[in-house]
Amino acid sequence: MELLLIFISATLINNFVLAYFLGICPFIGVSNKLSSAFPMGLATTFVLVLTAIASWLIYFLILVPYHVEYLQYVAFILVIAALVQFVEMVIKKVSQPLYRALGIFLPLITTNCAILGLALFIVLKEYNFMESIVFGIGAGAGFTLAISIMAGIREELELANVPKAFQGAPITLIVAGLLALAFMGFAGMITV
Amino acid sequence: MKTIIAMLVTLSVIGIVSGGGLAMVSSWADPLIAKNKQAETERAIFLVQPQGKSYEAVADAKIVIYRVFDENKQPIGYSLPWVGNGFQGKVVIMIGLKTDLKSLTSIEILEQVETPGLGTKIMEDPFRKQFDALQVDPQVDWVKGAPATKPNEIQTITGATISSKAVVAIVNDGLVKARAALGGSSK
Amino acid sequence: MKKQVSLVREYTKGIWDQNPALRQLLGMCPTLAVTVSAMNGIAMSLAATFVLVFSSFIISLVRNFIPSQVRIASYIVIIATFVTIVDLVMRAQFPAMSKELGPYIPLIVVNCIILGRAEAFASKNGPFRSILDALGMGTGFLIALAALGGIREILGSRSLLGMQVLPDAFEPWLVMILPAGAFLTFGLCLGAINALLNRKKNKEEEALVARHMEQANLALTDVKEG
Repeated sequence: MELLLIFISATLINNFVLAYFLGICPFIGVSNKLSSAFPMGLATTFVLVLTAIASWLIYFLILVPYHVEYLQYVAFILVIAALVQFVEMVIKKVSQPLYRALGIFLPLITTNCAILGLALFIVLKEYNFMESIVFGIGAGAGFTLAISIMAGIREELELANVPKAFQGAPITLIVAGLLALAFMGFAGMITV
Repeated sequence: MKTIIAMLVTLSVIGIVSGGGLAMVSSWADPLIAKNKQAETERAIFLVQPQGKSYEAVADAKIVIYRVFDENKQPIGYSLPWVGNGFQGKVVIMIGLKTDLKSLTSIEILEQVETPGLGTKIMEDPFRKQFDALQVDPQVDWVKGAPATKPNEIQTITGATISSKAVVAIVNDGLVKARAALGGSSK
Repeated sequence: MKKQVSLVREYTKGIWDQNPALRQLLGMCPTLAVTVSAMNGIAMSLAATFVLVFSSFIISLVRNFIPSQVRIASYIVIIATFVTIVDLVMRAQFPAMSKELGPYIPLIVVNCIILGRAEAFASKNGPFRSILDALGMGTGFLIALAALGGIREILGSRSLLGMQVLPDAFEPWLVMILPAGAFLTFGLCLGAINALLNRKKNKEEEALVARHMEQANLALTDVKEG
């Protein structure tokens, strides 16, 4: 099924973080504890799915018919900023502790390359409406998977003797590299 | 109230200036971008038909396929861009066909994202050259681990069998669709 | 009274001290994605610098006219406009490089470096300083991307800027061209830079301690003789 292919591709084979380098900032910034990484992944997934819907509608129902495709970057980023604002309000209403835990990283989802990247990919690959939504869910699942695995590893690393120069960002990046290598094993899962 | 008006005015002014500026740049850039795309397609078409001097898209074919002519306006074959799934993503191949659709002139891999050093060998000469003047009647077959024996066989790359088989599958699929689209006239 | 930063300093601080990619860790997405070769890294940083300089300039010019509540939205629209211009110009005039860099050119819109500098500097300083600051950050970004791209290109493709620099006998480290290689190279570089800076800091601390010890010794000898 084409939709299943898109989902698995976005989640595992072409993982947004480990293959396309989208979403690196929160990946490095929020992945030190599983308890904050996993909710961050879910919040990002929520924004991703909404963005998939919104950007598809805006591009194919407004920009293309009026031949103003060149406005896509401006339009997408404004929509994303608005959506993140909306999600922030929702989380604040629904769960105060979660809102406090995510803190500054919530508005920073706006500059998460993965969100805009998703919109751009949808335009590039010319997905239809259903495909875009599945793509958004897959991208979010992949991001959540990657950031959760990274958080688990980093919690273990706390107990290890990391050389002072490598503590923090450097060792996280090296671990990410090993993760990326591991995920390469998923290539070829779905062939001709 | 004053702040809200200020906000609206600011955003509107920025929006209008931005939109206007982009419209101007876009109207300058769009024709150039279209020309670039055209040049790229042309380059690919003639890459697999080196004797070709001009081409035209076959009019009522259901697929995109180009009839290529030499300098005397005689048809010398077809150039068919075809897409399929490789090992790690889509592979786009320009297939050069002789007019009888029974053999190839050559193929050219236009786009691929295969494993560097292994799958990417499909773009390199030993593998690609196997398709020069290859018979494709009824289709292309592949063999693994031994040299090809029949005129419509090619040998897969060691360590990149899946990428190699993908290329064969795409060529065969394109062949089937081309033969169907061009009708029985060239059989 | 704010300490006046020299104009030269305004430019040079972005090259090493506050290098956006290597010290501030901003803009990591393109840093990892396009550094498969030195040329790609250079092209990307030039495009980003163009956007950075022009957005900083415009934002600095209009900073007093934008109400605070809509400033992020305004900055974003200005930045997105210049990114669109860069993208259109590249697709029209440099189609090959545009294809190489792919979707990462429009992703300059969410490059934290640009919004970060707009918020931290251009919104609070005059146009001339903002341009200097932007140029400095851009230069630092260029050096970082060129260096990372160069390392990955030499080890992964035996070449630099398209010309072969290693003998054919050298088996290229293909991992360098893959995403994993990007992470590993960047992580190791950051670790190396940290190690260098820690050594420098330790040396300075040791020198400080030695000076204090010397003064304490002098004081003791004074007491003894005194």
